[in-house]
Amino acid sequence: MPRQPAEYGTQMADNSEYTERLREIMTRTIFGMWRLAAALTLLATALLAHHSFGAEYDATKPVTLTGVITKIDWTNPHSFFFIDVKDDKGGVANWKLEGYPPSVLSRTGWKKDVTMKVGDTVTVFGWHARDGSNWAHSRQVTFADGKKLFFGPPAGTGDGGNTPAVEVSK
Amino acid sequence: MTRGLAVAAVIALLPATVPAQTPARPKTAAKSSSKAAASKGVPRASDGKPDLTGVWQGGSERPGSWEEANTGAGVGGTGTDPTAAAAPSSNDRPAGREGAPYQPWAAQKVLDSFNKRAIDDPTSRCLPSGIPRIVMLGLFPQQIIQTPKQIVMLYEYMNVFRVVPLNAKHPDDLIPAYMGNSVAHWDGDTLVVDVTGFNDKTWLSGTGTFHSDELHITERYTRVSKDRINYEVTMEDPKVLTKPWILHSSLMLREGTRLQEYVCAENNLAPDNYELLLKEGAKITRQ
Repeated sequence: MPRQPAEYGTQMADNSEYTERLREIMTRTIFGMWRLAAALTLLATALLAHHSFGAEYDATKPVTLTGVITKIDWTNPHSFFFIDVKDDKGGVANWKLEGYPPSVLSRTGWKKDVTMKVGDTVTVFGWHARDGSNWAHSRQVTFADGKKLFFGPPAGTGDGGNTPAVEVSK
Repeated sequence: MTRGLAVAAVIALLPATVPAQTPARPKTAAKSSSKAAASKGVPRASDGKPDLTGVWQGGSERPGSWEEANTGAGVGGTGTDPTAAAAPSSNDRPAGREGAPYQPWAAQKVLDSFNKRAIDDPTSRCLPSGIPRIVMLGLFPQQIIQTPKQIVMLYEYMNVFRVVPLNAKHPDDLIPAYMGNSVAHWDGDTLVVDVTGFNDKTWLSGTGTFHSDELHITERYTRVSKDRINYEVTMEDPKVLTKPWILHSSLMLREGTRLQEYVCAENNLAPDNYELLLKEGAKITRQ
């Protein structure tokens, strides 16, 4: 029987079976996403810019955050937004999320000051910064009404991909 | 019929920045099929030459408006379908493309940049991305304005431009430049652009693909249909390459798209972030 998130939340703390199950699911998810990202990169043909998301963010560390928007910067070369995320102990951490520049956001369906505003609650999927601080590359934003938009490019964008431009002799 | 026309009229009035979730615009198939030959026709300028004027998207082969052509994966992952194949960046080597013909010492330097995950990319410091990289990238549109005596090429990315005189010689007092110096002539229906006068501060196509100030580029723009320009570029650089490096790509017409401002220096955090991560001991490099 499918379990609801709340059910996991109430049973996990004192049930090692569920903890193990959750760990297994997370491992599978992360491994699956890694394989998916690799497959997508191989399939791809089109080109974009800008500089290296892959240098700053770890494609093996996906992160999903739900929080309240505190600030939005539509700036070049990349845009940012900030969200307050509550933790289990009642604390609040402010996260910085990086994504596309304004012109690309506008061509991707975003409207400045309309699509997402300070005070809105959103869920963001992306990848954690390589230093492990509260900083991530945002990919998909899910709004309260369920609508989804991409705020940033796929994992690893700009880091050189899977194959160098030159042949490597070993 | 009337209803169809009304729908078409409403659709035609939609702004260029309509949300990408909007279902693909129905093609006006009846009109285009009856004049299939004409719709495939290459527009001609008043002097009879193919007219390259328009807003174009590099790195794509899909016809249609920007929204139509980028609904699935979208260039740079800008589409609406999370499961669609994503696209690598202009730092990536496209699948199937043979390795760039660098001299061994130069190939090692290219590989070093790859292993550093492109943190030495000149564009990470907001410098112009040079040629042909800027022509072949697809995340940002480019615009061509053609007149009988000169052709102007405008690029949203980094907000740079090229003014290309026809049937002219390169000036003899060139100062090395990021975008070089371009002159052009018509070879039949193909616009041939000769570019020289480069500095050595840009990448050609892919992470680390540096060049010297002896770089000489020949571009061939052939508008093969209303929707498409075939782009061939030959890069010659005796200081770093073993032979001319030739790439083929295409530019797709994006009617309704407009170029926007891109002031890269506004909030460029990348260099400081790279420095911070390295200082903190974060693992960036591949090896």
